Amino acid sequence: MHPITNTPYELLSPWEPNLLAMAVYVSAVVIAMAVVLILTARLGPKNPNPNKSRVYESGVIPSGQAQFDFPVPFYMIAAFFLIFDVEAAYIFSWAVAFKPLGFGGWIKITFFILVLLISLFYVWAKGGLDRGISARGADKR
Amino acid sequence: MSRSDYRDKSRSVSPGPDGGEPAARDPHTRDPHTMDTVINWCRQYSLWPLFFGLSCCFVEQAAAFASRYDIARFGGEVFRGSPRQADLLIVSGTVFKKIAPVVLRLYDQMPDPKWVISMGSCANCGGMYDVYSVVQGVDQILPVDVYVPGCPPRPEALLQGLIMLQKKIMETERPAAAVLRKGGTEGSREALLKAGKTKSRDTRGPGYIDIPERGTSVRPPQFYGTRSDLMWTPPPHRIELTEHQTTLTEALTARFPGVVRQESPTSDMPSFQVSGDRIKEVLRFLKSDSDPEFLRLDDLTAIDESARRRPKGKTGPTPDFTMVYHLLSFDTAERIRLKVGLKGRAPKTPTVTDIWPSAGWYEREVYDMFGITFDGHPDLRRLLMPHDWEGFPLRKGYPGRATDMAPYTLKGAEGHEPLDAETALAGKVESGRYFILNFGPHQYCTHGVIRHILALRGEKIAGMDIDIGYHHRGAEKIGEHQSWHQFIPYTDRVDYISGAANNLSYVHSVETLTGVAAPVRAQYIRVLLAELFRLSNHLVWLGTAAHDVGMMSPAFYTMREREEILDIAEMITGGRLHTAWFRIGGVAQDLPEGWKAPVDAFLKKFPGRLREYERMILNNPIFKGRTQGIGRLTRKEAMEWGVTGPNLRACGVEWDLRKKIPYSVYEDFDFDIPTQTGGDCYARFLVRIEEMRQSLRIIRQAAGNMPGGRYITDDYRYSIPKKPDTLEDIESLIHHFINATRGPKIPKGEAYTATEVPRGEQGYYIVSDGLNMAYRMRIRAPGFANVQAIPLMAEGETVADFAAILGSVDYILADVDR
Repeated sequence: MHPITNTPYELLSPWEPNLLAMAVYVSAVVIAMAVVLILTARLGPKNPNPNKSRVYESGVIPSGQAQFDFPVPFYMIAAFFLIFDVEAAYIFSWAVAFKPLGFGGWIKITFFILVLLISLFYVWAKGGLDRGISARGADKR
Repeated sequence: MSRSDYRDKSRSVSPGPDGGEPAARDPHTRDPHTMDTVINWCRQYSLWPLFFGLSCCFVEQAAAFASRYDIARFGGEVFRGSPRQADLLIVSGTVFKKIAPVVLRLYDQMPDPKWVISMGSCANCGGMYDVYSVVQGVDQILPVDVYVPGCPPRPEALLQGLIMLQKKIMETERPAAAVLRKGGTEGSREALLKAGKTKSRDTRGPGYIDIPERGTSVRPPQFYGTRSDLMWTPPPHRIELTEHQTTLTEALTARFPGVVRQESPTSDMPSFQVSGDRIKEVLRFLKSDSDPEFLRLDDLTAIDESARRRPKGKTGPTPDFTMVYHLLSFDTAERIRLKVGLKGRAPKTPTVTDIWPSAGWYEREVYDMFGITFDGHPDLRRLLMPHDWEGFPLRKGYPGRATDMAPYTLKGAEGHEPLDAETALAGKVESGRYFILNFGPHQYCTHGVIRHILALRGEKIAGMDIDIGYHHRGAEKIGEHQSWHQFIPYTDRVDYISGAANNLSYVHSVETLTGVAAPVRAQYIRVLLAELFRLSNHLVWLGTAAHDVGMMSPAFYTMREREEILDIAEMITGGRLHTAWFRIGGVAQDLPEGWKAPVDAFLKKFPGRLREYERMILNNPIFKGRTQGIGRLTRKEAMEWGVTGPNLRACGVEWDLRKKIPYSVYEDFDFDIPTQTGGDCYARFLVRIEEMRQSLRIIRQAAGNMPGGRYITDDYRYSIPKKPDTLEDIESLIHHFINATRGPKIPKGEAYTATEVPRGEQGYYIVSDGLNMAYRMRIRAPGFANVQAIPLMAEGETVADFAAILGSVDYILADVDR
């Protein structure tokens, strides 16, 4: 990285990393946005009407609510990832200390991995890894 | 403040500084301030039109922003998808009573100041569509700044409209004072017009008093003043049943003695009267047990018999309504017709939805239009008309013309909101479990005004309902008051991108009924134009469907080729979209001198372009990812649901009317039927691309082998004679006079034929009662059946895939709703 010098040219140069150029840029953005927003808010004509304040949904009045039980199809997968990922950390730490732990350590970690695998298959069998609706709306009923 | 008040307030001219008369009622009362000029200059060159199209005019509007015309050069910017980002509403096309509340809402949701251009005769005054479902001019519900006349106006006309609006902004608006809240003027400021008070109710405009209205003046139920009865015609064309059809007839009457009665003779296909209570047995037999099996319900409709004119002295029981079923067999490529007479003013008949699920919409349409109830129908409610509509439009006593009804006003638009989405989905999905999304009527991907109501679970579609009828132009009712020739321009507008191909379906039916044979040259001209329009249609489709899955560029390329095709069509016919070029017994005029050179030039250029599109679109890995395996339809479903055209062929069914039931000398041409077996969106793309190549082959043969001879039949009884002939002999002169004024009388009878238009099979079922107009004009639209099958493809897919599915199905609303 170049050393930070203090000549005025370099202070304002966009090619040199320095705080002043950044500050000028940020304030220019803030001022420009404020001018646009305040001017339109102050000067733009306002003719409020019930339709204008309504949500636009392809031209018809929307039904139902915007707050609803939103299904998060990735949620389960994310949760399982976290669980299995944390357990992978144990395996790494065992691998680092492979020699001092010896054969006993190997037996224990094998058992551990076996438990992990069984639980993975269990989750799989229970449909924990599926997400959303299968084709042709089978989930409908 | 009532809802109407705020409109009047917001749209009226702001009062002057002294609170007195509006300052700028006369634009010249005050000279523009420099500030005015600056603001107006900025505004006039950055108008943001809303991406909003109603019907045919929008196609020309789309041409105006595509490659050749490029509206952005004039300061009309990129079309915005949301009203929040737009300040110019171009009302392009017919304003339907069902869509009017939506138009009004979109206008209300646009920020001020805003302007309105009314594009095309329909938006201006109702135009050709003086019919129950159409608002006779958008200026009755919105303030209009500029009217662009035409049906449809050319893109240049829209550009001129835009320039006029810019001029209006600069010359008459004084926004500086308005910006400072001190009076001034900006945006639309014309008051709404009141039909019959501040505007003429005549759809042709003022000045037509005492000139007869469009269409025949003879009206049902009495048909007073008809002169057709004084005219003689030969009997309609009669067919001989083939040996095979005779066997079928015998088998059917033997299996159901006393129930099924053959009607003989007929003009088009074997036809049977069936007694009402046994119709389902007969249909079930024909679908699965007869030889051949009639796997497809081609069409289902009804006729109101109350205005039938019966020969004197003939009495006996007559039905009040007749149900008509047309069935098609894929094995032998033949159709049969079944008719059931119904008694009473609000009759009932059993539903056939358990035999053909595709009957669902057809029966709802019959219920909507005739008030016939179907016992056991799972979802019997209005289909085309708004849910709160009163009356049954296709009954004979119902007023056909909008000008016979009370004028449509702002109140009408405010009081009739489209059906609530939750109500529409009731019975389809469990209430409250799903997120409900209205996909349309105003949406980029819907390609017109149609409303898909989706029940979503996350991003996936769990169930859906389709609300159609936003584009219902009452073409079938109009057919009952236009003379046989006058109806031809209306056929153009049924599938407004396919132009002359529509004419062919109609004249083919009339010619089947009358037995008029068009000369071979005329048939070749018809094929040439029909195939050119198939190319034109597929090009529009290719560009827009690729756009739907995220490719911006193809639309600009395909619109370029389309303009070249339209140039050829214009050179031959004089029209771009709506050619109205075919006539009963031939075509309107001979090919012009020098027609061949541009056709040949196009034939030379196009194959290369097509290869380019294939490389650009079909080989693109992202495009493949978006379309392969998406929106699958199985072969059996496609056949049973009446899906036709490329959508059917993409499911592996080798079925094309041009080959299977040839018409208009298609048997002379050498071409293949492209098919795919995937049944998914990608397969539908492949089929259409290959179809373009086949169309090109047909055009090459038609242009190369164009025979000489007449362009219209020399039997002038039903057709409009050549003008020179009328100057030679009195017979031709009389026929010209009669057929060009009140129109020919078509003998009593009926005929159903269909042709392969770009979107599938478009059929006309015409019923004549021996008058100069149809007694019943039924249009079997390919889009109707294709769109009905969309839930089969879409349920279980994601919303993003839904856009790809809609694009690949290729429907057009004028065709779906007619």
